[in-house]
Amino acid sequence: MDTMNCNAFLDQLEQWMDGDRSADAQSHLRACPQCRGVVDDLESIHQVAASMDAADPAPPEKIWLALRSQLEQEGLIHGEELTWAEALATWFGGVFSAVPRPALAGAYMVALIAVGITIAGRSYTPINGSQVSTQPLMAQLNTAEQDAVSSMTNSDPVVVASLHKNLAIVDNYIALCEKSVQEEPESEVARDYLYGAYQQKAELLAQITERGDDR
Amino acid sequence: MVGNTAEAEDLTQEAFLQLFRKISTFRGESAFSTWLHRLAVNVVLMKLRKKSGKETSLEQVTEPDEESGSPRRDFGAPDLKLSGSLDRVNIQRAVDQLPPGYKAVFVLHDVQGYEHNEIAEIMGCSIGNSKSQLHKARMRLRELLHEVVREKAREDRRAAESASSGED
Repeated sequence: MDTMNCNAFLDQLEQWMDGDRSADAQSHLRACPQCRGVVDDLESIHQVAASMDAADPAPPEKIWLALRSQLEQEGLIHGEELTWAEALATWFGGVFSAVPRPALAGAYMVALIAVGITIAGRSYTPINGSQVSTQPLMAQLNTAEQDAVSSMTNSDPVVVASLHKNLAIVDNYIALCEKSVQEEPESEVARDYLYGAYQQKAELLAQITERGDDR
Repeated sequence: MVGNTAEAEDLTQEAFLQLFRKISTFRGESAFSTWLHRLAVNVVLMKLRKKSGKETSLEQVTEPDEESGSPRRDFGAPDLKLSGSLDRVNIQRAVDQLPPGYKAVFVLHDVQGYEHNEIAEIMGCSIGNSKSQLHKARMRLRELLHEVVREKAREDRRAAESASSGED
């Protein structure tokens, strides 16, 4: 039996749409075509809206170029005019000023140098995509990662979990960039992104090592 | 959320610029994805508020009081059902007319599929606030879409009348 009037139903409409549906409201809805019309409308809006996300186009390439140019103007990133030596100096300067300690020895140092030289040298020796093998670099970064993470064993588990999450994000980013380079071996933009991705990972490892050493 | 490709591209670029400028302020207190989304939503809201002429603080991301009254209780004519006339184009046009706070919550929840607890974190509001803004947004959209249906019915009627007068 319908014990609810339309106003009372509309008072509960927000809860109804959120899945909280009292027996009284259900009875009213069965008996009232007007309120059923309102609910049908809201459900239709929700359904059509959900299908709109997939229709969102990916941003065009020009955005990344414009972004790069703006970031270079602001000095947040450095442009192609840097020599590979300058690029390395800038990069290592940043990393080493943050982490000037022996913890960077061994695999971590090897990985940083190997990644730096291989990728920073890209503007001097055009790299044929088929000759670029990132596997040895990734292996070195992975070894460095193990060292860095093992330095965190006594740290706060929440911090460790967060760092693992960030590492997973960077690894995903690297995988995406590597895929782009494989698909477009001649694309300078794709190689720049891969370079940036490795740099991010190296910097993240530097931060982890720094935190581990601080303890 | 802005319903305009060129503007969306500008805002994408602006959001990434902000990311580079502000990455050092990320302290790991929330998930990185939430932090990044909040940054992007703030970029969009700032733009929308500038467009609507409101210079509102970014912290005030939900709608002000005048927008937060009870939704209008207009059933619409019984023969005006939205289901047949609802498509992405109509909804996008109606969403464009929503106030910025409603628009943000609606797009995040109904279009992009975020949960209220995530939206609350992104928008810096309570979960209850996110739920009520979503409900008001949907009710406002329903009104706007009914207006579209009524307008289309008027146009069809006029077209039918002019066709029949042409036959005479």
